[in-house]
Amino acid sequence: MADNALYASRIFLNAALPLVKVLAEEDPSLKKAFAGKAGVVQVSAVNTIPVEGDGLPRVGTHFEVADGAVKVVPGIADKADVELAFPSVEALNGFFSGKSKKLPKISGALKNPGLFLAFLRTLLAMSGALGATKAPEKPEDQARLVKLFFYLLTSGISQLNKAGHPAVSKWAKTSPDRVYALAVLGEPELAAYVRVKAGNTRAVRGVYERSKPFFTLAFDSPRSALGTLLGEDEMLAATAAGKIVMQGAPEYGAQLGEFLLLVGSLAK
Amino acid sequence: MALTKEEKAALEKKAYELRLLSLDTVIWAGSGHIGGALSAMDILTILYHRYMKKDPKRPDWDDRDRFICSKGHIGVGYAPVLADLGYFDRELLKDYNHTGSSLGMHLDSRKVPGVDASTGSLGHGLAIGLGMALAARVRGKDYRTFVLLGDGECDEGEVWESAMAAPFFKATKLVAIVDRNKCMIDGPTEAVMALEPFADKWRSFGWEVVEADGHDFDALAAAFDKALAAKDKPVVIVAETVKGEGIDFIEGDYRWHYGSFDADKAAKARESLARHHAKRMSGDGQKVGAASGAREA
Amino acid sequence: MAGGMTFTMIDTTKLSTAEIYGKTLCDLGKEHPEIVGLSADLAKSTKIGLFGDAFPERFFNVGIAEQNMFGMAAGMAKAGLVPYVSTFAVFTSMRGLDQVHTDICYQNLDVKMIATHAGLSFGQAGSTHHCTEDISIMRTMANMTVIVPADGWETANAVRAAYDRKGPVYIRINRGFDQVLYDRPDYGFEIGKAVTLKDGTDLTIIACGSTVWRAMQAARVLEKEDGLSIRVLNMHTVKPIDAAAIEAAVKETRRIITVEDHSIVGGLGSAVAEVAAGTGKSFSFRMLGIPDCFSIIGLHEDLMAEYGIDENGIVKSVREVMGKDFEADENWDDEV
Repeated sequence: MADNALYASRIFLNAALPLVKVLAEEDPSLKKAFAGKAGVVQVSAVNTIPVEGDGLPRVGTHFEVADGAVKVVPGIADKADVELAFPSVEALNGFFSGKSKKLPKISGALKNPGLFLAFLRTLLAMSGALGATKAPEKPEDQARLVKLFFYLLTSGISQLNKAGHPAVSKWAKTSPDRVYALAVLGEPELAAYVRVKAGNTRAVRGVYERSKPFFTLAFDSPRSALGTLLGEDEMLAATAAGKIVMQGAPEYGAQLGEFLLLVGSLAK
Repeated sequence: MALTKEEKAALEKKAYELRLLSLDTVIWAGSGHIGGALSAMDILTILYHRYMKKDPKRPDWDDRDRFICSKGHIGVGYAPVLADLGYFDRELLKDYNHTGSSLGMHLDSRKVPGVDASTGSLGHGLAIGLGMALAARVRGKDYRTFVLLGDGECDEGEVWESAMAAPFFKATKLVAIVDRNKCMIDGPTEAVMALEPFADKWRSFGWEVVEADGHDFDALAAAFDKALAAKDKPVVIVAETVKGEGIDFIEGDYRWHYGSFDADKAAKARESLARHHAKRMSGDGQKVGAASGAREA
Repeated sequence: MAGGMTFTMIDTTKLSTAEIYGKTLCDLGKEHPEIVGLSADLAKSTKIGLFGDAFPERFFNVGIAEQNMFGMAAGMAKAGLVPYVSTFAVFTSMRGLDQVHTDICYQNLDVKMIATHAGLSFGQAGSTHHCTEDISIMRTMANMTVIVPADGWETANAVRAAYDRKGPVYIRINRGFDQVLYDRPDYGFEIGKAVTLKDGTDLTIIACGSTVWRAMQAARVLEKEDGLSIRVLNMHTVKPIDAAAIEAAVKETRRIITVEDHSIVGGLGSAVAEVAAGTGKSFSFRMLGIPDCFSIIGLHEDLMAEYGIDENGIVKSVREVMGKDFEADENWDDEV
């Protein structure tokens, strides 16, 4: 369905790809790979699912790398040093979901080998992590994966609203100003939230400081979080077992859980 | 019972000492309500040294007689009476009105042992006293309640609410005393807000009225004896007094409601008090009317 | 003033709520012989007459002389009794204020004031008998405890708690025909602790007295029709106020509406604002009450509707506050 393809593409471009920055900053070897590199890296696709009124020939996300720091910029750059260009949105979806092995057209790799390799390594690390079927062993790897998932899922919900997904945009439209948060108890580093108000949504990384969020889905440890996020545990059972702590009315928790699953299903 | 010669002499001596101490307190404080303190001093002296059932070491003794100084601004006169009896350390008088002192212009019942009510806002004392007198009845207690009012204070409506209520509730063991010095801040009482016929007003409200010379201990003793013997009505003693009694250059002068004494005035005041005491001891016709501005004979 | 006529035929079914506290005072009077009662020709209207009937030797009707009454109460308290003084709120807080302030509060005496016909509850009597300033006035008196019970049961609890509470206590109630909020008295009444009648996370309504029941009605409507999650706090003690409950409401719901049958100047709303402003957190805030004016006359229910402190008024205000911003709305881009 064209709609699902649109939603999936928005999740890949605007929720998943931005995680490159997180890995580039936090994974020591990837950080080293980016050190000293500069330039613009872009992932793009021909806009084969145009949304009414956007008139964009291509869609994409690009990364401005300078002094080893990575800045994520949604949309197409004027000029890109390295580019991974897909012939269609469907092709992009296929690649990122792992269903298709067809590579995009790569340009600028030979001229900027260091930059290209750093980016490719990070991309592979990211898809490897997100595609995991079981939890990593090391605690720092578990924590990082939880963080990636939290950022992916909150951005994912927000992107689905912006893309007009019926269920999500209906929920957003009628909502008063509320904040829904994901958290791990005792680990403030592992947090993200979505602010929703009258049709608008915004995903933010970190803890919502202004007040207590309207609803928080909190896990009692990074391992418990992965249990739910990787599909090992079913949410109700996890809640009963105390692995999930819902702060706020349970009915809102169920709603949030559904949306998390929705993002997950579209991204696979 | 009438005073014996010895009792009277003792009272005169005590009143003289207390007048001196009151003057000193005003000087230590820098200034004070000397006029009304001196006009009430004989009343305070006879009350505390002849009639009040009390124990300075147990100011909260449940069976003590109560005294409410409804004209609460005469703290400079009342505090010396309590200090002299040992309710608190006399030395504290030297800090009167100083910042943080427990003794201020209007005595605080929570801070000064012996003070039964925090007065100062005129017109409250009779109601409070009535409440205490009725409490005695409810609790089956025997104590008496004395309330000292100023005459200017009797402009306040609350005084007359209480005056109407006391006989209605058949409050006995309640004695009001009015320090009728005929002066208030802005002038003589009869010029600012006339009170006469004053005694008639009380009678019409249902009180037994006893009129007495407020500077004659024999007259005061007779008045109190009569008041305490009353069975079915509350009693008010209208004590004819002179504002500033004892210090000749302030006697009967409403402007000395509040004042201060420099070294020169202080010396003159002490001399005057000494003469006043001597005159009183010799029984030399010290009727009210000896100074200007006092009542007609 | 109407001579003793305090209810209509329709009200007789609810008469029990007013008499609950009268009976409580009688029970207290049996337990504690030092309790006495005073009134100023309003024994029937304020229901303290029940105490007077039971203990004629311990009841004093002073006639229409409030200043003398409060002075007497002070004297009685000084002499070992515990006086319960009952008259209309307008007279307690204004006619007798000098005595309340100087004789009772300044000397920190155990005088318990039950002020009736507060707010606009005596609607048809007009401003001479309304009292929309007393919460404001009384909470500025040092040493005073100010309690505004929500219904008959709460009044009974407050009357009892007042006995154990050191110092002066001001209990403000209506004519006695309140809606019944609690179905039993042991719901956990404690001076200084707000009662969370309903939890919620979108917005908190803080109310006291007759508006509490209305807040609950409004919350139910908002839940059902708007899907909102409303917290309702019964702030029966305005002084000392439950600061912790207010701070929690600010932090956890970040929108507060206060409702009171009282002027918006200086009453419950102001007391809540004082605490909330001190938290340093941002929050939406609105005070509902009588808008700094002398009220029109009317039945209490009609007046509450007129000034927006009834169920509908509260619902309307909540909807407006939910639509207001309290943080910037310009940037809706996801963080990348």
